Amino acid sequence: MSIPLLLLRRLAWRHWQLAPVASGLLVLILALGVAVFFAIRLANRAAVNSFQHFTELVTTQTDWILQAAAGDLPEGVLPEIRGALGEAPVVILPVVESTATRPPEGGGQRIGARETFRLLGLDLIGIQNFASGAPSAAGQRWFTESTSTTSEDSRPDDQAFWRTLGNPRAVFISGELAARSNLRIGDPLPLIINDALVTLEVAGVLPRIPDRPAAPAGLMVLDLPALQRWTGREGRLSRIEFVVEPGPRADQRRADLRAVLERLAATASVGSAPLSGAEAPRWFITTSSERREAGEMMTRAFRLNLTILSLLALLVGLYLVVQALDGAVVRRRAEIAILRSLGVEEGMIRAAWLIEAGVLGLAGGLGGVVLGWLGAQVSVRFVGQTVNALYYATSADTAQLTAGEFVVALGVSVAASLLAGWIPARAAAQIPPAQILGRQGATSAPNTRRAAALGMVIGLAACGCALLPPLRFAGGARFPLAGYAAALGWIFAGGLLGAWLLSGMAHAGAALGSRSATLRIAASHLLRPTSRHVLATAGLICAVAMTAGMIILVGSFDRTMRGWIERTFQSDLYVSSAGAQSASTDNRIQPTTWRAVSTHPGIAEINVMHAMEIRLQGIATVLIGSDLGFAERHAPPAWVVPPDSGQFAAASQPHRATPEDPALVFVSESFQERFRLGVGGSLVIPTASGPRHARIAGIFADYGNERGSIVVERTRFTEWFHTDLASSLIIKLHPGVDPEGVRSEWLRAHPGLQIFTNSHLRAEVLRIFRQTFAITYALEAIGMVVAVLGLAMTLVSLLLERRSELTTLRALGMTRAELARAAGWEGLQVGLAGLSCGLAISLLLGWLLIRVINKQTFGWTLQFELPVGALALLSGLVLASAAVTSLLVGRWGSQLPAEREEE
Amino acid sequence: MNHRHSRVRVSDSHARPSRRFHHAGCTIAAVLAWLASAWTPVTCAAEVFATPRPGRAFAFPRDHGSHPEFRLEWWYVTGHLWDGSSNRFGFQATFFRTAAPQATESAVDLPGFGRHHLFLAHMALLEVGTGRFLHQERLNRQGWDAGSSTRTLAVTDGNWRLALEPGPDHPERLRLQGSIRGEASFQLTLEAVKPLVIFGTNGVSRKGADPGAASHYLTFPRLSATGELRLNGETRPVRGQAWMDHEFSSSQLEADQAGWDWLSVQLHDGREVMAYRMRLKDGGTDEFSTLAWVDREGRVTHLGADGFALEPLARWRSPRTGADYPLGFRLRTSDPATGAAIQWQIAPLARDQELSGAIGGVPYWEGASRVLDDAGHEIGAAYVELTGYAGNLADRLR
Repeated sequence: MSIPLLLLRRLAWRHWQLAPVASGLLVLILALGVAVFFAIRLANRAAVNSFQHFTELVTTQTDWILQAAAGDLPEGVLPEIRGALGEAPVVILPVVESTATRPPEGGGQRIGARETFRLLGLDLIGIQNFASGAPSAAGQRWFTESTSTTSEDSRPDDQAFWRTLGNPRAVFISGELAARSNLRIGDPLPLIINDALVTLEVAGVLPRIPDRPAAPAGLMVLDLPALQRWTGREGRLSRIEFVVEPGPRADQRRADLRAVLERLAATASVGSAPLSGAEAPRWFITTSSERREAGEMMTRAFRLNLTILSLLALLVGLYLVVQALDGAVVRRRAEIAILRSLGVEEGMIRAAWLIEAGVLGLAGGLGGVVLGWLGAQVSVRFVGQTVNALYYATSADTAQLTAGEFVVALGVSVAASLLAGWIPARAAAQIPPAQILGRQGATSAPNTRRAAALGMVIGLAACGCALLPPLRFAGGARFPLAGYAAALGWIFAGGLLGAWLLSGMAHAGAALGSRSATLRIAASHLLRPTSRHVLATAGLICAVAMTAGMIILVGSFDRTMRGWIERTFQSDLYVSSAGAQSASTDNRIQPTTWRAVSTHPGIAEINVMHAMEIRLQGIATVLIGSDLGFAERHAPPAWVVPPDSGQFAAASQPHRATPEDPALVFVSESFQERFRLGVGGSLVIPTASGPRHARIAGIFADYGNERGSIVVERTRFTEWFHTDLASSLIIKLHPGVDPEGVRSEWLRAHPGLQIFTNSHLRAEVLRIFRQTFAITYALEAIGMVVAVLGLAMTLVSLLLERRSELTTLRALGMTRAELARAAGWEGLQVGLAGLSCGLAISLLLGWLLIRVINKQTFGWTLQFELPVGALALLSGLVLASAAVTSLLVGRWGSQLPAEREEE
Repeated sequence: MNHRHSRVRVSDSHARPSRRFHHAGCTIAAVLAWLASAWTPVTCAAEVFATPRPGRAFAFPRDHGSHPEFRLEWWYVTGHLWDGSSNRFGFQATFFRTAAPQATESAVDLPGFGRHHLFLAHMALLEVGTGRFLHQERLNRQGWDAGSSTRTLAVTDGNWRLALEPGPDHPERLRLQGSIRGEASFQLTLEAVKPLVIFGTNGVSRKGADPGAASHYLTFPRLSATGELRLNGETRPVRGQAWMDHEFSSSQLEADQAGWDWLSVQLHDGREVMAYRMRLKDGGTDEFSTLAWVDREGRVTHLGADGFALEPLARWRSPRTGADYPLGFRLRTSDPATGAAIQWQIAPLARDQELSGAIGGVPYWEGASRVLDDAGHEIGAAYVELTGYAGNLADRLR
């Protein structure tokens, strides 16, 4: 056995065995830290994986994907493209994609409560070719494998094919959904598509393609023209996919295909486009991996923020690992000195300590993986809810544990432990053999002034970081790296200042409690705090600062949101499709429905809103058509930069939308941040009738959309996109008309609608908003638990070191209760120092989160709000748990037998 | 010499289609096996779809085009090509149209994504020198990517296309564009060297006792072929000759048939022969088996089942489907011009010319062959089709 391993067994293992409680606590702390990080990582992955390029799950890998820069592609481009490709062997796969949900049950109208299904409209005949060995052997036979077969001779039920093809209600579902919902071929499947309740009929189960992931539970496939019909998009396509048939020179043929598609894109589109196609192409060409990447990019900032928050518990845990190992060095000084006298070299000692740290990391990592996987099953739902509310429909409800993630979790745990163990290992290695003779003090005392000075320097440097701009990724995503560096800097500086504060507080405590023996004993330990006191305080500062900082952020957000809701939601009824359950919903209100609704005699005014995802500079954003006159009268926007006088009214006047006479539009703050375009900025908006020029006339706050939005006058929108499908209706009723009555009436007549009264919608918006913060609270809470556990662990370690002192004090007549109280006071003072410094840092962090990190990530301006009540509650909880934990540890310590070495 | 246009087996209560119908039944079996269009009773089909009428006045180019009132229709080209280095190739290009059972009952079809007609197509190429055989099958619905004109011959399926493009110098000029994945492609100009032949009596090729069991059967027995062939990334000019059938009907198969052996022969002397032997499940030859001579002027002489014999010379088992095909035939018949007995050898240019029927699951062998006389001299080129050797075809088509 090598010397470090021998040392590990003889020294470390014995100590660990002798103090199982403290050892277990340390492993638990590390495990919790790793678990939180791991759980969020798994949940994030599950949410990202749910954004897929679904077509490839049922056909084959596509080479190029064609999408309109705005809205749908007209079907007419298909023969145009086939003609342009001539004899080139290319499979052209038109696709219609939409969303649907189950109908609401029992009148429940909670947004996001029902699963969003992804409907894929494919040419059910054309995709048979993917089973024919050309263009690639996908191997599935839809109608022979998935439709009913006669049992005797496995001959396909031939008529089933024609029935399926002739039945627009025929839908193929995933095996998982069929099993989960006990659906069989021929069963009805009621869905909300757009605003209509459509009862589809299960025609089969999606065939599984070898070497491909199974179709996700929420994927459904219909014949393309059937889905066009149900979604009111006859003659239109979501995208066109291309597969170059296999053979020699495939790469060259792929490039040739792209060149043809680009050339066609640049030809002027049909209609009175003021710009040529070269300036604003009719479509853009992408690949499935680019689409997946764009989906990932959409949520990257959100996921990064969540990951950083998840590191809080690990960060606090690291302080505690340093502290624990530091304590172990102190306790084992004598043994180390003997070993050094016996000729064991420094390197050996250091290696033994690092191995010990590594083993600790491994144990914590294993525990963290188990706890983290359990936590991920819960957190995936919260992450999914937020992704649903802000980005796209996700049905992620389980987080899969992969070998890669397992290794990452263990790696993080071991690396963190080694990092934390570095300083104690160095300290252990530097213990001189002679020192044993000197019998110097059993504890080390850090230089609190020097630490405070260092803290000030780091804090100032962090201030500089706070002023730096964010990192910008492709797709408009931003990440406030410097902002996070500033946060880390301030937290670290707080930890260093905490040491100085701790001794200051001990002086004050000693002065205040000069008559109390327990207080004096407690203060005496803190007048020259050990490094473990300092580290425990730093851990607490870290946890308090981040938790209180988040409380300030959420409080500010809450206040801002309430004000925004107050200003924005002033109408009586808000109507959308009952299928609109996520930010990426394709469900709209059909013109027949909204026209029927708008004839109600109770209606004073109605604003028919339209929304369309468009791409500007290759980045997806949302174009909204709204009746600006209605908005001015009943729901004035919450202006961040208001338009010049008269411009709001001018925006609703006709413009030719040319460079000379651009359309006036208003953009949201998030848009401004993503595209870095302010008032006066020029836009070229791609529309179904060609690109249109626009100028930004004002900027408004919109806390419901992170991707940014552009608002144009409704009539312009319908003219540009030739569509009357509405995304929502905002209704002002005549005075005296009961909104609830109208709502009930409409829900009976249109079960596919989702209708909110004013108060109901306000509550719903706040609920969704608060729900998105649920996971942050959970992360902070775990951080706090770790910090308090750390405090307990510190006291256990210190009391163990003070066995002789405790014996002496007992011999001098102090009762066990008094000794426990002394420990309680000591813990309380550490808690108080951690709390006060943590709260001070939290003010800085709150400001940083609101003005820098949030603004840079999402582009939302928030009003600063100090939620005094919540902070007071946090303070009370911290102090009470510190006192109670310390008291309990004190009672345990007071009962330590004098002769026992450790327990 | 037994010279008949069609024969009726009195005991049959069902219609029996011609070779080409069967042939279509085979190739289209890919579709029919699961599209069920083959198993509609004649009476039902006759009620819904049109049936061939004697004395039909064919009008061209309209009758080269599609006849959607009939349930089934196909355009079928096979041929032989040579490049400048005398490398030889065989090719096949087939386009089938089949109508949905309810086609005439349902509402107006969607222009982009129709539900009333499906188009199945096969392309195949044999590189004789290497024995490499490439083929591809494709199925599309009538709409933006597949269809056939009702005014002239213009049928497409993806990037595959067959169209009549008459020039001032030649009114019967066809253009064929085909490919097999990205591995091979051909663009050919086909010009009728001999006039169009209409098989049957009074324009109707009867298939059985039922008046509905019949087809209109039009053939270009000899077309000159010129154009380009791209293979192995190399484009080469090619020349050769082709045969094209166009047939439309609304009838179907019977249960007692096992399959058929068909061949077309283009003799160097300017005459052609078409023959098919209908194989019954009991191993016998059906009475409807036929051999037809086309003389240099395009006149047709039909011989009945007793007027010719096809004797297999060897066998080949497909490693993919397990089908056991006869490979090469001895054809015994008589020359209608001289009455002399004839004994030819129909020798395949490659063993493996099997189309695996990937979409519909009905494999068949369709291959380029050469024709040798008694003395072993090559006297012509042939195409041979062998069906029903991989499982019971009649059951699949039922």
